[in-house]
Amino acid sequence: MMSQTIDKKAGKLHGLWVIFKKEVIDNLRDRRTLTTLGLSIIISPLFIIGIQWFAEEKVKSETDPVTAKAFELPVIGAELAPNLMDWLAQNNITVVEPPSDPEASIRSGDRRVVMVIEESFVERFNSSKPAAVKLIHDSSISGLEKLGLRTVQRALRSYSSQIGSKRLQVRGVDPNVLNVIQINLSDVATPESKNTQILGIFPYLTIMMIMFGGMYLAIDSTAGEREKGSLESLLTLPVERSHILLAKLLATAFFSALTFFLTLTGLALALKYAPVDSIDIAITPQRLIYVFIACSPFVFVGSSMLILVASFTKSYKEAQSYLGFITMLPSMPLIFLAFLSPEPSTSNMWVPSFSQALIMIETLKGEPIAGSLVVLSAFCSIAIAIVLSFIAMKLYQRERILG
Amino acid sequence: MIEVQNLCKSFGEVKAVDKVSFTAEDGKITGLLGPNGAGKSTTLRMLYTVFKPDSGTATVDGFDIQRDALKVKSSIGVLTHGAGIYERLSARENIRYYGQLHGLSGKSLDVRIDELAELLDMQDFIERRTKGFSQGQKTKVALARALIHSPKNVLLDEPTNGLDIMATRGLREVISRLKDAGHCVVFSSHIMQEVAALCDEIVIIAKGAIASKGSPEFLLQSTGKESLEDAFVKAVGSEEGLI
Repeated sequence: MMSQTIDKKAGKLHGLWVIFKKEVIDNLRDRRTLTTLGLSIIISPLFIIGIQWFAEEKVKSETDPVTAKAFELPVIGAELAPNLMDWLAQNNITVVEPPSDPEASIRSGDRRVVMVIEESFVERFNSSKPAAVKLIHDSSISGLEKLGLRTVQRALRSYSSQIGSKRLQVRGVDPNVLNVIQINLSDVATPESKNTQILGIFPYLTIMMIMFGGMYLAIDSTAGEREKGSLESLLTLPVERSHILLAKLLATAFFSALTFFLTLTGLALALKYAPVDSIDIAITPQRLIYVFIACSPFVFVGSSMLILVASFTKSYKEAQSYLGFITMLPSMPLIFLAFLSPEPSTSNMWVPSFSQALIMIETLKGEPIAGSLVVLSAFCSIAIAIVLSFIAMKLYQRERILG
Repeated sequence: MIEVQNLCKSFGEVKAVDKVSFTAEDGKITGLLGPNGAGKSTTLRMLYTVFKPDSGTATVDGFDIQRDALKVKSSIGVLTHGAGIYERLSARENIRYYGQLHGLSGKSLDVRIDELAELLDMQDFIERRTKGFSQGQKTKVALARALIHSPKNVLLDEPTNGLDIMATRGLREVISRLKDAGHCVVFSSHIMQEVAALCDEIVIIAKGAIASKGSPEFLLQSTGKESLEDAFVKAVGSEEGLI
């Protein structure tokens, strides 16, 4: 009977605290958790910095006028336009013998571009009519492989406008008559905000890692505990069921938050020390802490989603397949942030994961979001987390929880 | 002391427990005997408050299992059917976890764990993580954590399941000692010999209802049989599911 009096003295939340501590220790001894934590600090930086580094190296090696390797361009009918060939050579393009079947060589990927000087070239060029040059290429190739086509096009355009200007001068006309409008751009973007690719992918990875960080604990402490047969014993102890669930939820949130923090730290270190010139983002300790605090309400949304789904699955395997999907769910809409850059407003800042993504992007751009919108984001996320937790608690009260 | 009155519980169409009443007194071992699926586990689950009865009541030391569920939980120790323990915690940590959830702490808790380790002969593996433990070792850990708060009432659901002969003998000895120390012990089993060897009171359950109850002597008299085994078979109506 003495135990009862001690129990009362220890207060209502004593059981919650004991379960939370046990879940954290138990989970820290799980190798999968340690792997996830370790990966969280490495994988996002590798992903972001790696892509950017690769792209930068590729662009450098192909376009830099000093160091770039000359682009090899097979030309059919090169003898018809010796002047143009000289111009290409000056623009770091080496003219080579054409293949016997140009289309096939493009299709097979041996060549990226083949240039064909049409028969009529000399006659039309001499009579000041547009002289045709055909570029054979494959538009379905992606990304950096297109650089060759662009290099050739640029060289042709500049050749064309140079000869054009000369023709006008010969006729006593100022070449500037062709420049009807002069466009002057004034760019207000901060250096940071120009890194749109990174800014777009950053929240996607971070939100995914937050979900991933809590996944194993959520499964282990609910569906896993049921499968191992330890849940029923636990329910015979003098602790409210809602406290048991809440403790598991908080332990899940703890690991989600830890993963979140490590991911941010990993990215901050990588952005600072990675050998990539084109990245102009610095995560200062202040920004890191601000992002961590302002986005932490999402940790609760994520954890309550995980716990909710894990509480009604029957087995470890079932939980694993459902939670694999749930883990991806909040980051899916964020793919669009790679193409779109919506302005934060009351119409989008209430949405969990989306609002946190915008907070991350804008903070890293150095254009902080209005405090009221950050509060809106936090308030709505926490409200949704409370609703989800409440549903999970209700599910936990059912007798069917024992399977 | 546990008093059960007219407990009923259905799952859909199936009446799992139908008007079960019995009293388990302190200092006595009460056995729930019945074939598999007879309703023994469901009855115990209502007593240790994870299931709610459809009708009927039960009290543990005077506390109602529905109204005073938390007080009931504090005054019982439960070994559930197929009880699982936490693999990544040591045996001591498993037991300490339950002790802390019962409000125990500090040195007195560790002293109590040492007592139980001695009682259950588990000193050799008390500090080891429980991954890879034999079924007997796991059952000992589960039993120790159920007894950590010295509960007056002990509920054991098929405790000898999966145990070898030596472990079963050990467990019987522990149950006898709990009785001698004045505890109220209720355990379920489908093994007749086990119930016959241990119990002061036997409650025979078949198809959710009580077929017969009383002391072993009373069961022999009332059925007019010479051995307890025959008495059980007569009471249950068939030999199916009994060992």
